[in-house]
Amino acid sequence: MGLQEVITGRVWRLGDNVNTDILHPPSYFSLDGSKVEEGLREGMQRLGTDFRGEYVGDGLVIVAGENMGCGSSRETSVRALCIGGVKAVVASSFARIFYRNLANLGIPPLECRGIRDQVKDGDLIRISIKDRFIELDDARHFPISPLDQHIERILECGGLVPYLRRILDEI
Amino acid sequence: MGNGLTGDIIQAHADGRKEGEYLSVRVDFVLLPDYALALLLTDLRELRRDVWNREKVLVAVDHFAPPSTVERANLVKRVLSFVKEEGISHCSLYGGICHQLLAEGPWVGPGMVVLGADSHTTTAGALGCLATGLGSTDILYTLITGRTWLRPPEAVRVNLKGKLPPYLMGKDIALELLGRVGESGFLSQAVEFYDLEGMIPMDDRLALCNMVVEGGAKNGLFHPDDVTRGYIEGRNGHSGQWKWTFDGDPQYRGIMEVNPSSLNPQLALPHSPSQVVDVEEAKGEVIHQVFIGSCTGGRFRDLEVAAASLKGKKVAPGLRLLVTPASVKIYQEAMERGYIQAIVEAGGVVLNPSCGPCGGIDKGILGAGERCLSTSNRNYRGRMGDPSSMVYLASPLTAAATALRGEITDPRELL
Repeated sequence: MGLQEVITGRVWRLGDNVNTDILHPPSYFSLDGSKVEEGLREGMQRLGTDFRGEYVGDGLVIVAGENMGCGSSRETSVRALCIGGVKAVVASSFARIFYRNLANLGIPPLECRGIRDQVKDGDLIRISIKDRFIELDDARHFPISPLDQHIERILECGGLVPYLRRILDEI
Repeated sequence: MGNGLTGDIIQAHADGRKEGEYLSVRVDFVLLPDYALALLLTDLRELRRDVWNREKVLVAVDHFAPPSTVERANLVKRVLSFVKEEGISHCSLYGGICHQLLAEGPWVGPGMVVLGADSHTTTAGALGCLATGLGSTDILYTLITGRTWLRPPEAVRVNLKGKLPPYLMGKDIALELLGRVGESGFLSQAVEFYDLEGMIPMDDRLALCNMVVEGGAKNGLFHPDDVTRGYIEGRNGHSGQWKWTFDGDPQYRGIMEVNPSSLNPQLALPHSPSQVVDVEEAKGEVIHQVFIGSCTGGRFRDLEVAAASLKGKKVAPGLRLLVTPASVKIYQEAMERGYIQAIVEAGGVVLNPSCGPCGGIDKGILGAGERCLSTSNRNYRGRMGDPSSMVYLASPLTAAATALRGEITDPRELL
């Protein structure tokens, strides 16, 4: 685990104010990974996404607008993204609990404005975490905001649980 | 600057460690609903560490209360075994919704840092503490270390001027604010209320702080005053060791004002809590189900006003009225006062204290195309049932009036 320097994947494009109840409907709350994954497919359908995981092999990168992940704190919505092969979430802004849940489970939450309207579902995307930009297939570049040092440390550990293990060792 | 009382509370709890903009902060109390605890049990066991303080955690079996599937029954079983093995002091089994139990219990008061593994933990801010929700893994970190990482938020001050007219509730003010700022208008901010004349009852304050998260806020907080003190004294028999006075003059990034006497009853249209209009504008819309309950709208005052509206009348033919008291304590008091009887005689169905229909968990789930008016906090598409169902959010007063007419009704028409 740890924070990769370069992340590549296929775009899963979302709008503004996407709430966690639609992304992963509450009736799919479960500890059973296959049911959690089923909930993500249902969420994709409800969000009008026109693919159902055919790109998962390449890895997915969500590209969303403002206030991504608002609403419920249910961590199953982010666990579903882990299971569904989402490697990063890019958004103009994030709802705060969702932002922390992503970092805590090792998915980089990246702030980038202006890219959402330039991509469509299935586009190839390349994120250079170290140099802080996103490159599209046609070579256009978009800058990403720097990660806070604390969030970066959590991501470098691969999530909050491994971060906690490291801290406990230090104490 | 501009971090309000919330910033002061964070600084007072900081332990000196800092990473980036985040401060390591001591936590005073943790709220853990069943589903969120179930998610972290495996990691907790693998870490082989004890809970930092067994006296400072409330576990509530409220979402799966009682469980409606085999999987949920097994989750609750694991949760209860954990509570027993760890020796967690405070555990509620079907006693009510965790956020209401946290306010009713003797544990939290002004100046504290309170975390919960549920977004509506903001509710407890009505008692003058910093109360905020986090995901399960963040709470796992706190359970072991007694700490969390917080960024001092920008704070907005909301001045509430005057008393609530008889047709308005805290819920209407919450919807009014969400209508003004939108779904991300309070993103990561602290929303701090000043009840300038001390006229907003505690139950309405709890509803207001509950819903600030629908605007993206980190927390809602009522500046502690005589109403806070009266509530805490009524609850604990004394005002306790809380921090009642705060040094300095908290600074704010912005100020908003609400004058309740100039507001009309408010309604959020499907499918966003911030798509708000006057109830009057949606008047006549046919409703199939009315839900009075949840951590927003199932408190004593909510049941009191609903029962007063319903007493001696009948709900509209074919309309389903579901009422869920937010806690067993509220349920009992409402029984003693005859409110439950009035609701049942009017044709309402009373469910046991739990989250139930609000998150589409069990009982009262909506079918295709059905319309529900709910006193809860979220009307996101599909949250309460079929993705084609529609949920309107309003106060318990508007809910009761709507139940009697079978269509969206301004409560002033029945007062």
